[in-house]
Amino acid sequence: MNLEAFLTQTLVGLYTGSFYWLLTLGLTLIFGVTRIVNFAHASFFVLGSYLMYTFYIYTNNFILSLFAATITTGLIGVIFEITLIRRVYKIEEMYQLLLTLGIALTLNESQKLIWGTTPKYINMPELISSGVAIGYTNISYYSIAVISISLILFIIIHIVINKTLWGLKIRAVWRDNIMAQALKINPYLIYTTVFFIGIALAGFGGALMIILHPVGPGVGDHLIIYAFIIVVIASLGNITGAYIISLLIGVISSLATWLAPEIDIVIIYLITVIILLLRPGGLFGER
Amino acid sequence: MNKFLRDINIITILILGILLGLISLTGDRFYLYISSLFMIYSLYALSYNLLYGYAKLLSFGHGMFFATGAYITGLFTLRIFKDPLIGLLVSIISTIPFALLIGYITLRHTKVYFAILTLALSMFVYAILIKWRDVTGGSDGLVGIPKKGVIVDISSPQLNYLFILIFFVLSSLTLYLFINSSRGLLIKALVNEERLLFTGHNVLVIRLYAFMISGVVAALSGSLYAIFMSVITPDIAYWTFSAEPLIMTLLGGSDYYLGPLLGVAIYVSLTTALARFAEYWMLFLGITMIAIIISFRGGVLGALILIATRLKDKRLKTSK
Repeated sequence: MNLEAFLTQTLVGLYTGSFYWLLTLGLTLIFGVTRIVNFAHASFFVLGSYLMYTFYIYTNNFILSLFAATITTGLIGVIFEITLIRRVYKIEEMYQLLLTLGIALTLNESQKLIWGTTPKYINMPELISSGVAIGYTNISYYSIAVISISLILFIIIHIVINKTLWGLKIRAVWRDNIMAQALKINPYLIYTTVFFIGIALAGFGGALMIILHPVGPGVGDHLIIYAFIIVVIASLGNITGAYIISLLIGVISSLATWLAPEIDIVIIYLITVIILLLRPGGLFGER
Repeated sequence: MNKFLRDINIITILILGILLGLISLTGDRFYLYISSLFMIYSLYALSYNLLYGYAKLLSFGHGMFFATGAYITGLFTLRIFKDPLIGLLVSIISTIPFALLIGYITLRHTKVYFAILTLALSMFVYAILIKWRDVTGGSDGLVGIPKKGVIVDISSPQLNYLFILIFFVLSSLTLYLFINSSRGLLIKALVNEERLLFTGHNVLVIRLYAFMISGVVAALSGSLYAIFMSVITPDIAYWTFSAEPLIMTLLGGSDYYLGPLLGVAIYVSLTTALARFAEYWMLFLGITMIAIIISFRGGVLGALILIATRLKDKRLKTSK
């Protein structure tokens, strides 16, 4: 085992983990505030990728399309929240999960109809190849940027939730919905805003991902499993836990693909099962 | 009323069995194929509804039992003893401890955690099937699962069809009788967990029981699938395949024993009758699912029964 390869793999792991984080952050926020486990979350992530692809083709501007894709995904998420999800806040959790599964299916299939079944990607050679060389391997600035963005987002979310008045309102709804309503906080407004933020973050992650990974049918099906595994290990609704576990799962899977390619995905699921056997409520507990 | 419904369910299964039996007389390969798939998926969906509709457990990993059933039958007949019937029995028996183990792990939770845990475990099974190439054949799966064995020979399509038909009728009847037995009533009572606790029963044991029966029937359907198809791939353990019986159950109506059958019938007939429709099938399912959850949770059978009772009421009123 050489150190250089180990470091490269760790960095790749942190990079993938950052995407998992962008995915699970929204999932965690939405669950924490609205108590809904959003099965369609990865579908919104992939929607962000596709929108990025389309915007980039038309505008040829990376920053502009990234921005547009993020906002559009968030707005589409809000449409679903207002028209459909709002109706199931007060009924059994089972039906909430089923409704979001229905939304996931609808989104996935509509994406197939709109963008076709061949995987799509954006070719940006200068963004991918430029970077620093460590030994023989080239670490692109892009992957470093993604890792930093995810860390910055973690800090921002932390500050917003713990230090601002709006964050206080969110925490109030999070902890005790009825008491929050008594304090003249409109929970539905909070729900919709949180949905917008959560889904927009997923769209943002998807838009960043399509630069290096082609996106096609089935990507969402695969991602939602990882997202669920991460939030369950980290305890549903725990933001710090979700960040740590996202990066850990990213690094572990990256190292596993390098050290033991014949059993790489088995390792991830095995770890999940063992952790859930020992700590059924996850590692961190809900905040 | 209960007695009446019970009769109707049994009668419907028997009539369905006779009708499906008549199809075998035509010998038309296409109809045999579709009807076989209908019966296999029906058993799969019925076993799912025991969990979802009766025990009120939302599992996203039911495919793991279907897949283990299929793989055990495949491996047993290919490697150890070449006979489909014995392979089927072996897979049913070996699913019992497997289902109990999985149930013991997952049933400590019920709602969302249970759903996600079953999902993770089924993906674990999927990962093993994909990665353990020497035994499971990896992503190529198992090929050439024999229909002609030492004891039974079902290599002709009609005999294979009858083989599936016998298991379909027997197990759907048995499952129905089980649900209406005293044990089954306890499973139905899980609707209100607190009340059941007050009667002094161990809720975990009842859930485990339902989970095991459901897993065994799913393994049976998987085993029939393996023998029927002769080829199996790990796709049947992927979570999307676990979501299929759930969607069919919702479509048909989860409140009724025969609801899942109707869902499967709609699925099989629509996708084969309108071949072009198959492309949009999942989109249709997604939208239907949203509509069912938002507006009417009884499914198609629930809607039909509602319409029938309304008509009956009207007739009673006018006759008065």
